[in-house]
Amino acid sequence: MTRVKSRCRWISALLLCVVATAAGAQSTIASDDVAIKLASQVCSSCHGPGGNSISPTFPKLAGQQQAYLVAQIQAFKSGGRGEQEAHDYMLGMTTLIDDATAAALARYFARQPPPPGVSTDPALMAAGRKLFTQGVADRVVPCANCHGDRAQGNGIFPRLAGQHAPYIVRQLKVIQGNLRNSPVMHGIIKDLTPEEMNEVAAYLQSL
Amino acid sequence: MRHGLASVSRGGWIAGLGLLAWLGFIGAAHALPAYARQTGQACVACHVSFPELTPYGRMFKLSGYTIGKRQDLPLATMAQFGVTSVKNNRDDQGQKIVPKTNQPVLSAASVFAAGKITDNIGGWIQWTYNNLATDSAGGTVGHSGIDNTDLRVVGRSENTDQTDMRWLYGFTIHNNPTVQDVWNSTPAFGFPFTVPPNGIAAAAATLLDGALAQQVAGTGGYVYWNRSVYVELTGYQTADGFFSPLRAGQDIHTAGGVHRLSGVNPYWRVAYNREWGSNSLMVGTYGAKFRLYPDNTMPFTPTDSYTDIAVDAQFQHISDPHTYTFQFTRIREKQDYRASYPATLAGSPIGVGPTPANADDTLTTDKFKATYYFERKYGATLALFRTHGTTDPGLYGPGSVGGSANGSPDTDGYIVELDYLPLQNLRLMLQYYGYTKFNGARSNYDGSGRPAGDNNTLFVNVWLVY
Repeated sequence: MTRVKSRCRWISALLLCVVATAAGAQSTIASDDVAIKLASQVCSSCHGPGGNSISPTFPKLAGQQQAYLVAQIQAFKSGGRGEQEAHDYMLGMTTLIDDATAAALARYFARQPPPPGVSTDPALMAAGRKLFTQGVADRVVPCANCHGDRAQGNGIFPRLAGQHAPYIVRQLKVIQGNLRNSPVMHGIIKDLTPEEMNEVAAYLQSL
Repeated sequence: MRHGLASVSRGGWIAGLGLLAWLGFIGAAHALPAYARQTGQACVACHVSFPELTPYGRMFKLSGYTIGKRQDLPLATMAQFGVTSVKNNRDDQGQKIVPKTNQPVLSAASVFAAGKITDNIGGWIQWTYNNLATDSAGGTVGHSGIDNTDLRVVGRSENTDQTDMRWLYGFTIHNNPTVQDVWNSTPAFGFPFTVPPNGIAAAAATLLDGALAQQVAGTGGYVYWNRSVYVELTGYQTADGFFSPLRAGQDIHTAGGVHRLSGVNPYWRVAYNREWGSNSLMVGTYGAKFRLYPDNTMPFTPTDSYTDIAVDAQFQHISDPHTYTFQFTRIREKQDYRASYPATLAGSPIGVGPTPANADDTLTTDKFKATYYFERKYGATLALFRTHGTTDPGLYGPGSVGGSANGSPDTDGYIVELDYLPLQNLRLMLQYYGYTKFNGARSNYDGSGRPAGDNNTLFVNVWLVY
């Protein structure tokens, strides 16, 4: 009798788990549907189709790290990103979405194929490559340490490969000026010169 | 009397404080007008400088103003306060031409109900108080009425890889031809974005160029494919009956005043749009065919026919800190006076006119504008305009200031504008109109000895939207 009861309990628990998982999956699917609609109807107006933006004012999001995207949406919402563009464009947009939608949007953009890089001045790119892979002695650690050999990013560390060079330069300046709350990155690049920013941005855009 | 004034003044203070409190309350979210409050975004997201639209602003408008969150109080306000100065503001009899010049005046104030209603329905209604409406005695009076209005129902579909919109389509009801357009090369939202109140206007303008504003109801449909091809078809009719709110405040009973159309009149628009880097380009064409009663108070006579065909183009480069934009349009109008001309010829003109001396005329207007903005804050614009057409002494007869001695509608000139936007919703502007030709000539154009340059006008204006 006790055995039967215990088996029943197990079955009930199992059923509950299945139902809960199904419900979870259901809500994830619902969020994914909302995210697809938002991404293709709203985000795409600035960030381009599938997060492949055309204008350098707006970053490319295709293939971006999921964890980084979620963190940025939260940073826009909380004011952690205080640069003018964050206020003008993103603050309002991100306050309209809940955490589940934010996560779904991050999943959406992370799975989009990243666009190919765009090469510019070879000398600039070569200098940028050196800085990215080797850093500057006693001043800047190699960017590749966190952002990956091919600047593909890693979790909270963003993908930089293929990003618009003017956007990268702008963000480096914003972080240098402490307008964007990023203490670790601020410490690393606080002595980076404008020339070095242009070099590393040209290299990253080419990847 | 003193007491009365004091209570009015006290009442005014209370109302003023109430307004401030309200503005403070709604400003707490984001200190910008209705759409900014709806999206949480700044003016610069949608406007190069208001009202010129950015690529995103165009998508917002075509999406029926539905992006964002519906507001409980979807209101915005606008006011203009300025000084107008005309080079020679006296006619040949020594009478003042433009009232209230060389003094600061509140020219107009508007209230907007604007925003999203559902995910597929949105729009805006503007109600304007014109503080300097002219009365029959040539003085100014306050007058309020409906201004630009655009209501939309929209739908969208994604492309197969779910990365972008394939089709964006909608239905619009509005009250001013081209107010529904999203490029600033077309007349309703073309440059100049605001003009000196009661400024001296040339004798001729095409019907599409503002002549039907707030008199007609436009009902139309549009599709925008792949953010590249835009096609629209709209029918315009005089805003009677069900549509009469769209022309609320218009005097339709004075002969020779507003225009009156017969039936539904077709308007079409095709545009090709392309975006790359920080740039966007549009080339397009639009036009309409109107059947117009010669006298607006006699909607039973035969009608004249006007065919407007226009081409336009726009280029925008929007980046930080440099932004520059260019717009161009040419509107060519064929005026077929199939009703007015025979009646005039027979010696029995229809009502108050027009009374053309030709069976048909043409009128062509060119407008070009180049704008530069530094940090979207400091701006300069140069605009050139030119209207040329058939000489018709019946339509453009002699008359002090407003007439033409040689019967020609030709007017050439330029506008220089300097703008400073200390806040995104506050524009301080200096606008100068220079005329090299007015109603057919450079000197003595009106037959009363007035040179075109006497109409040159300086307008200093403070334009606030909230």
